[in-house]
Amino acid sequence: MSGLEASHPFTSELTIDELLLLEDVGFEPLELLLGASYFHIGYQTSSFSQNQELLDMSQMMLLARQTAMAEIRAQAQALGADGVVGMRLEIEREGHHAEFAALGTAVRRRAGDGTKYRDRHGRPFTCDLSGADFWGLLRGGFRPLALVHGVCVYHVAHQSLRGWFSSIGNNCEMPAFTQALYDARELAISRAQHEAQSAGASGGIVGLELREGNHGWHSHVLELVAVGTAVSALTEPEHEQHTAARAVLSMRDA
Amino acid sequence: MSQGIPQRPQTQRQALPQHALERIQRSRNAQGQRFFTSDLSVKEFLLVRESGFECAGLVMGSSFYHVGYQRSDWSQNQELTVLTQAMYQARELAMARMEEEAHELGSDGVIGVRLHVNRHSWGEDLIEFVAIGTAVYARDGSSWRAPNGMPFTSDLSGQDFWMLLKSGYRPVSLVMGNCVYHVAHQSLRGWFKTVGQNQEMPNFTQALYDARELAMERLQYEAQLDGASGVVGTQIHESTHGWDAHVIEFFAIGTSVLPIPQREAPPAPVLVMTVNE
Repeated sequence: MSGLEASHPFTSELTIDELLLLEDVGFEPLELLLGASYFHIGYQTSSFSQNQELLDMSQMMLLARQTAMAEIRAQAQALGADGVVGMRLEIEREGHHAEFAALGTAVRRRAGDGTKYRDRHGRPFTCDLSGADFWGLLRGGFRPLALVHGVCVYHVAHQSLRGWFSSIGNNCEMPAFTQALYDARELAISRAQHEAQSAGASGGIVGLELREGNHGWHSHVLELVAVGTAVSALTEPEHEQHTAARAVLSMRDA
Repeated sequence: MSQGIPQRPQTQRQALPQHALERIQRSRNAQGQRFFTSDLSVKEFLLVRESGFECAGLVMGSSFYHVGYQRSDWSQNQELTVLTQAMYQARELAMARMEEEAHELGSDGVIGVRLHVNRHSWGEDLIEFVAIGTAVYARDGSSWRAPNGMPFTSDLSGQDFWMLLKSGYRPVSLVMGNCVYHVAHQSLRGWFKTVGQNQEMPNFTQALYDARELAMERLQYEAQLDGASGVVGTQIHESTHGWDAHVIEFFAIGTSVLPIPQREAPPAPVLVMTVNE
């Protein structure tokens, strides 16, 4: 597909500042994209007294996000875009059903070849960066590759009655609870890391955010999600490297 | 030194859970190149690189703590040492684990540390403390570790870290002090005397004054133990953590710093007038 005509007006969520910065690094916005998936986020039975990951749930919560994002990626590709910026995901729940909606602005290299900004399969990149962050990243010699997710749904064991009695009135750590949440977080982060590495990112993940959620499940079931943008070093930076940072005093009142 | 200062557990080394070790091992790929994960924004990431550092990875520690019980006298201003100790120990445990992860990663220090306090509905007296930050290492291989040989820790953002180095100081450790205080209830007679009057409430003033001072004093003491020359970015947080309204925790946190021996003159700031609203 050849993409949009030059006269076609674009739609985007970008502010004027972001638009200017995108233009400065040679990109133009094409269209605001929306992707959605609808999932039944039911419940998996778990052993009352055991710390364990609910693997089926983890996979399902990841699949729901990936489906919504894949839809955006497909739309962007059909438009002839080189990538999507400002991507974000929203979850709206009604009972045991949840809608996963992804939003983002498709962008394209204005002149020249934008394909080197795509991933190794020729698909557009995705990222949750603002226009300013995108500008900074390119100027700093990196490019975004993919918005990555790591998901872990975990069942935290209930404390035994004996354990409860021995802790009454005392200061003490609760090792079982500590371990459960520690584990769940580490799993979520390492999955995001794994996804980034298998997407071919050579640099790392920036702006990782760790979110905790309980989507109407039993109170001992938690979802930990790690979201961030995987980045790679630009092999042949075509933008001048950003000049050395300077200390600035703003005249504006705080 | 006042009594009841929670002793800093002498950098007791913490064992890390299996998944943490696995994740840290995987932060190098098959070619032995580093692959980082970081919660720094793009701006912070670029400034860290400009200061001569590279991101090593996201590090984290957590501790789930059962907070004990202490009876407080209704009409008395007093510190609740059991609660103070619990809140302190739990934070220290979370921090020590985070430090251990940074050590395992072979990094020089941790920046952007955030301490969260979470409550879950599993028990009234249960509080979870989480410490998260980004481990960094110097590109030229020089060591920036704290005097005790462990990675430095700091709650400075990437921007502040850049500024701190530029002005000739380096971070040593995240220092904290806390104090859980019971503020006395006013007697009925006292209440009658003040109805409709403008006047100071010396009891309340003194209680809050005391509690803040204790938290600050402990923070300062920690910085001195670490051999630092000062503390920057100190913040005092105040919270009742869902306890009785008259029980308040004051929590002071900051980054202790040391001057860099051969430092360049700090850059002159540029004056800028922003046109943005």
